[in-house]
Amino acid sequence: MSSTAQERQMKPVYDALDSGSNKSAVVACDKLLKKQPKNVLVKSLKALALVRQQKIEESLSLCDDVLATKPTDDAVLTAMTHVLRGLGRYNDVIGMFEEAFKRHPTNEEYGCQTFFANIRAANWKNAQQIAARMHKQFQEDRYLYWSVISAVLQANDPSTPAATRTILYKLAHRLIESSPTPSYFSAERFYLHLLVVRELKLNEEADKLLNSEVGQKICSVSLACDDVRRKIWQDRGLSEQEGEHAEKQIAEKGDRNWLEVLAVLDATFTGSDSSAKVEKARELFEKVASEDGDKDRSGLLALLELERREREVGASSDLERLNALLERYFAATGDKACCFEDLRPFVSLEGHQQQRWTAYLEQVPPSFATAKDVQKVINVQKLLRFSLPSSQITVDAETERVKRYIQYYHEALPVGASLPSTELQPADDFALLAGNAFISLWELTRDYKYLYSAASFLEFALSRSKQSFLSRLILIRIYRLIGAPSLALEHYRALNVKQVQHDTLSHLIISRASTFSLASTGDITYSTECIESSQIYLSNSQETPEFVVRAFTGERYSQIPEFIDFEQRLENSLQRDNIKMEHLRMRLTHEPIASDLIDMELIELKFIFDKIHHDNRDFEIFPNYQPKESQGFNQQTLLFGKSEGLGWLSIFLKTYIRAFQQASDLDDTVEDKLLIGDRPKQTGNFDRSLTLRERLVSLNEDELLELTDEEKKFVEFAKAVADWLEPYHDYARPPPAVVLAEAAKQTELKTGHPLKGIEIPPTNGNASHHKKDDKPPAVVDPSELIAQYFEGVKQRFEVVKAAPLVDVLHVATLAQEAFLLFAVETTRFKSPSVVKMNKLGALAASFKPIRAEALAILKRIAGELSKLGEADATGRPAINAACASLFSSNIDSDFTNGVARKIVESRKKVTEGISKGLTKIVTQHSA
Amino acid sequence: MSVLRPFKATDMFKFNNVNLDIWTETYGIGFYMTYLSRWPDLCCVQEAPSGRTMGYILGKAEGEHADWHGHVTALTVAPEYRRLGLARKMMHLLETVSDEVYKGFYVDLYVRCANHLAIDMYEGMGYSVFRRVREYYGTLGIGKGGRDEEDAFDMRKPMSKDVHKRSIRANGRDMIVSPQEVS
Repeated sequence: MSSTAQERQMKPVYDALDSGSNKSAVVACDKLLKKQPKNVLVKSLKALALVRQQKIEESLSLCDDVLATKPTDDAVLTAMTHVLRGLGRYNDVIGMFEEAFKRHPTNEEYGCQTFFANIRAANWKNAQQIAARMHKQFQEDRYLYWSVISAVLQANDPSTPAATRTILYKLAHRLIESSPTPSYFSAERFYLHLLVVRELKLNEEADKLLNSEVGQKICSVSLACDDVRRKIWQDRGLSEQEGEHAEKQIAEKGDRNWLEVLAVLDATFTGSDSSAKVEKARELFEKVASEDGDKDRSGLLALLELERREREVGASSDLERLNALLERYFAATGDKACCFEDLRPFVSLEGHQQQRWTAYLEQVPPSFATAKDVQKVINVQKLLRFSLPSSQITVDAETERVKRYIQYYHEALPVGASLPSTELQPADDFALLAGNAFISLWELTRDYKYLYSAASFLEFALSRSKQSFLSRLILIRIYRLIGAPSLALEHYRALNVKQVQHDTLSHLIISRASTFSLASTGDITYSTECIESSQIYLSNSQETPEFVVRAFTGERYSQIPEFIDFEQRLENSLQRDNIKMEHLRMRLTHEPIASDLIDMELIELKFIFDKIHHDNRDFEIFPNYQPKESQGFNQQTLLFGKSEGLGWLSIFLKTYIRAFQQASDLDDTVEDKLLIGDRPKQTGNFDRSLTLRERLVSLNEDELLELTDEEKKFVEFAKAVADWLEPYHDYARPPPAVVLAEAAKQTELKTGHPLKGIEIPPTNGNASHHKKDDKPPAVVDPSELIAQYFEGVKQRFEVVKAAPLVDVLHVATLAQEAFLLFAVETTRFKSPSVVKMNKLGALAASFKPIRAEALAILKRIAGELSKLGEADATGRPAINAACASLFSSNIDSDFTNGVARKIVESRKKVTEGISKGLTKIVTQHSA
Repeated sequence: MSVLRPFKATDMFKFNNVNLDIWTETYGIGFYMTYLSRWPDLCCVQEAPSGRTMGYILGKAEGEHADWHGHVTALTVAPEYRRLGLARKMMHLLETVSDEVYKGFYVDLYVRCANHLAIDMYEGMGYSVFRRVREYYGTLGIGKGGRDEEDAFDMRKPMSKDVHKRSIRANGRDMIVSPQEVS
């Protein structure tokens, strides 16, 4: 058929696919397939349309048909790339292109695609060989460098042994040497060359490259190359040369990059005769300081750093000099916002020096005439607060400080009165300081009135400075602590967190969000937040690989490892799986506990469990102005004082995987057969000799430390239930063959095709009636821990009832979770035929009292919560009073009452919501 | 005192203190990677010795023939590090690379006509208004500053290759063009 004729024929299919009408694409394909049942392109496009509709099983058989033909047609290859990626079958993409390239070894595009497919799957070795072959075939230097960077990537892969690493770098070096054009042809190739030379410690070659005119030129304009140059010199202990080079940069070229200062300092303290060198460095920095004046603060800071290092090596004899420098620095930059952070590393002082420093700061007169004056007072207060000894962190002293910060805040407000609403107010930092001091008071007393006061005051500050995201961050933490989650969410949304920020900042709101989730009542606000926050991971897996490809095509060798690192850190983000776990906990409260939920979650959780995790969460973002002696703002304001770290995730994964595994019919052999995409690589740091079960039952102490007491009790309960029921599940679970046969039957019903690769064993009559050879395991009673668990919950609830609301909600939601987990574990034995067939009547009977007691206690908790919701409203005057007690008459009571009202409403909403949800679950499970 | 170093993809994990700002947009990851995969030498970060991000610049090289130039796409500094000359240092790097590596005729940037502070700063660095682009910043709507709020100045600074100084003109502020004509 002529190509135009074919094009015309295919047009309706492509049009439908382009416009997203996948259904009509399938119809169009079927029409064509009737006439040409062997048309591979039509088949592959149909498979694509099906994948896009999530009709996985149907697309699979088409997909296999097409792959069997070993396609070499461009259009087919493109379509199949999309199909296979959609199915997660990356290894098949590699195989497909390898085959095509083998058949057409002169097709450059196939070569590139094979190379990229391997890069995508992190098959560095294959990639390296393909690139080398391409270089031979097509004589393009680019491919040679592709093979170099592939060798480097393989060498740097954590799974590569140290000895192999050197061999690979040597290979990379040989390849560069074989290049017909020198590496300085481009800065990016030069960069790669330098990397290799550095790793192999080829000093002569490094000198030759770096001392050449073109090498120097490249380093002067490429920060990346200059960075490797610096490292090469450092590795070789050439810090003196590096220091000289840096000195020249500073003195002659006016370079103020801090890296140059560090280089001079490193050289100063290397080798002997440091006192002369110290003097020389001091002269240099003094000169810089006087030349730059107030244009640049590098000179003065360099002097401070010099002093600090001198002390570190015990060389400084002049004790007063550091103070003098600090004072000088403050005099020069005290009116700039960066002053506090600049000085923080240098002000860990003691004795007389601390006294002198404090006295110096205290004599700075507080003036609020200009924004600069205000900034200076802020810096004084921050620095004074930072140095407070623990003896001065008392309720009285902190109360005085709060008063002062608030007073200063009001005095400073007029300075920014004329600024547009898009600007930050110069007075803002006083509000942040007050927020910190309030938190400190709460920590000292556990009296929640301080948190109410803080919330009210910060809301006021925010009304005056609408863009103050730092005020919002404090408010988010406070609202979570006082159990007003809807207000926390409001502020979080106002931050307008976008894109990659979801990964670094969603912990603000999603950490332990199941405590506040009302999904049980059908309110999916938090579940939706989980889904939205997870979008970035999808973008990452779809987009980032494309940019890796672009970096190769554009030969940006300095970026390739960075892109790969970025992709990995996002793909394997701790926060990603924390979100996943919280979302799952919410799901279970509002979706029926059925086998498809259990099976799907089980597979996903197992993959997560095998991964290595990267913690990208941003905790540095908080305005932490607490004394250096204290734990700091983040730790102080964490919900329940605990972060959801790697240990927390690991324990919750183990708990749920174990429960789902028992409840599921999918054992490993079945899962292998039914799994469609590639199995992800196991990258986690665990003992590979252990079985999954061994890993699941081991709970290590360090991990447990990240759990709250109530969570620990929940985990103990879950473990006890799992230990108890394991033998009965294992006995009653249908054998793999039966499960597969059932799956095949379902697939055939759905798609009209049998499931590939699965042989259905002949069954004698009804498949579900398999014969048991062994006797059923003897039924034992549940352990004391299980039998007493809900009674324990009841007692603890009575105790915390009078406690802060979040503690009450924590006990209530975990009780609910324990009950749902018990439901997951016992679902299999709900079917009378399963019980009868396996002779487990006694076991099923022993569930009844546990369930009945749990339901009664959950019902009781629901009732208490409902009362609490009411009572909280009557307690509003207290909250009103706390919100108003701001040591200040500048905020009118309408404003503070408004804040109090919102807090009360938010608390009431969550308390009543959790109560209603519990009631709903009790009703559902009582039936 | 700040460390000037290349912008890396992983810097996206630590730019919150800079980006939680009304004037700084957080783009999709593809945006940053587009720049890094094409003009990594025109993108850099200023970092405090503590490792905290202070600000960054993203730039590109574009245009044809005599219009070939360096362009400043994003330049931002966290509130607490403003007025320290960081922007100037990053601009200097971008200009050097545009001049020496890319051999551009000029470097240009867009700035809100109402942003007098920024305009003064760029003028101090040798930039001048080449033309005014009407309604370039459509998203915020007309604010207090009237049309100035939405219109942009295209400011340019000649590089060594622009021997005839064609990127400077005296009446640039009066040369009004529509946004369709510039992008």
